[in-house]
Amino acid sequence: MDLVNIFIKSAFIENLVLSYFLGMCSYLAVSKTVKTAFGLGLAVIFVLGITIPINWLITTFLLSETGVFGHDFTFLRLILFIAVIASMVQLVEMVIEKFSPALYNSLGIFLPLITVNCAILGGSLFTVTREYTFGESVAFGLGGGFGWFLAIIAIAAIREKIRYSNIPAPLRGLGIAFIITGLMGIAFMSLLGIDPAAF
Amino acid sequence: MSKLLEFIKKIEPKKGSLAHTLYDGFFTFLYTPDEVTHGGTHIKDGMDLKRTMVIVVLSLQLCYLLGTYNIGHQHFLAIGEHTAFLEGFHLKLFYGLGKLLPIWIVTHVVGLGIEFYYAWKKGHGIEEGFLVSGALIPLIMPPDLPLWILALSVAFAVWIGKEAFGGTGMNIWNIALLSRVFVFFAYPTTISGDEVWVAGLERASSGAAVDYGWWHHLCNVFFDWAGWSTFNGAAQVIDGFTGATPLSLAFQGGWEQVTSVYSETAMWWGSIPGSIGETSKPLIIVGALMLIVSGIGSWRIMLGMFLGAVVMGWLLNAWGATPFMEVPWQYHFYMGSFFFAMAFMATDPVTAASTDQGKWIYGFLIGFIGLIIRVLNPAYPEGWMLAILLLNTFAPLIDHYILQANISKRLKRA
Repeated sequence: MDLVNIFIKSAFIENLVLSYFLGMCSYLAVSKTVKTAFGLGLAVIFVLGITIPINWLITTFLLSETGVFGHDFTFLRLILFIAVIASMVQLVEMVIEKFSPALYNSLGIFLPLITVNCAILGGSLFTVTREYTFGESVAFGLGGGFGWFLAIIAIAAIREKIRYSNIPAPLRGLGIAFIITGLMGIAFMSLLGIDPAAF
Repeated sequence: MSKLLEFIKKIEPKKGSLAHTLYDGFFTFLYTPDEVTHGGTHIKDGMDLKRTMVIVVLSLQLCYLLGTYNIGHQHFLAIGEHTAFLEGFHLKLFYGLGKLLPIWIVTHVVGLGIEFYYAWKKGHGIEEGFLVSGALIPLIMPPDLPLWILALSVAFAVWIGKEAFGGTGMNIWNIALLSRVFVFFAYPTTISGDEVWVAGLERASSGAAVDYGWWHHLCNVFFDWAGWSTFNGAAQVIDGFTGATPLSLAFQGGWEQVTSVYSETAMWWGSIPGSIGETSKPLIIVGALMLIVSGIGSWRIMLGMFLGAVVMGWLLNAWGATPFMEVPWQYHFYMGSFFFAMAFMATDPVTAASTDQGKWIYGFLIGFIGLIIRVLNPAYPEGWMLAILLLNTFAPLIDHYILQANISKRLKRA
């Protein structure tokens, strides 16, 4: 039950994009059509779901004083996290290229760009500060990825819808995308404050 | 709609008379005039924006009537004078008008002002877009809302919510709800809690003094002269009065707690504290029927939303972990603003899903999530505003996938 709570909480209530504003760069850059947004969202779910548990293993067994080396190596945390994320993205890229060239081609440059998606590094750091267990970090990774996925396909559909709207010239493109993101954040506040664990 | 047209055609006065000029002016509120294009393209019943808007505004009028009176009624209930519903009719009516009119005027001055400015700047005709938002906004605000907050919220909604997106018909989120959500998050103490839903009291706690402004002294002069009862400047809030709405009572102690203060009849007919226009269920249902008959409000969304709330009500009853969850599902429709949100907010054709299957999904999810927010979220007393805004966010996505499914289905058939 705890794992389900963490999944729901990280997907809807504390959405990485809309309540922490993490991962904004690819969120704004790749959200022009629903199709590519969908592919990128899936890739982010996958990468978050894998890197967060791996990073958890690294912090617990390699970097902490109770780990294999018996020393406090937390100053290496950021570097290691980024290395893990980058290598995981490389791996995902190779696997997708091998088994689904069509998806690989439709994602193009945005697949390696997941590396610099701060939602992933942010998610890894959250698991450290919130002191999750291994199972909880898996649930958090998948839930956070799902929330990111929902947010990006929703804004992509909105941006497709407003493509022919008479938006004032200075706001076209990124300007209106930021306004949309803010208003989506207000809409997502509807679930803020629900504590699934309280029931 | 065609039956109504036949009837109106039957009572058309002779052309050239004064009566016909008046007839024509009001006729175009509801219908396009007889003059149609000669030759070339013919458009069957070009339902234009003005008629759509006017029908919605008409269907809100009953809510306005009772809402105005109810402001006064709740006020006098709180101070223990004229407690029967029709007693002190003139006092309650004038008190309500004194509260509602400033709200209505500020809403329209600010909203229409921005609208006119952009019509002038962009060089297009004045769009009637704000008529409906301007009619809805006063109905969903608490009666004592400071007017400057109201002005800010309307400006936010019209500016950020509509003009930034390109004007009438381009907005993604419901304008009226955006203005309310702005107040709700920016000035929460003016729109939530037990003390804001009854007008004219500094605080709703017992023993607090009532404040009557110059407007009521003016009325008193007139009422004195006519020999009617007058506003009592020395009145105080009666002992034991809290001003708690049914929803906050239900949150504290379930349905028993609610019925110990309000009778079911009072809740159904709307003589309870709440936002100005949302209390009376039968009058809202009349408005909803008007929208359905004229084809403006989608019955799919309304029915879907109802079903969603019923299903969630059942689930919560089965769960039953808190007193609020144990409130029998049918009683959820007596409390809060379900019907108002269903009839006038969810059905907004601009922000709702526009495919037929999409409307079912959209409506159902609003009902479902709205009840989750109402019952499970301790931070917010009521859920429909936020649920509708949340589903406004996802409406384009729902439409997108319904369309894609349709495209791929037809491709397969070809």
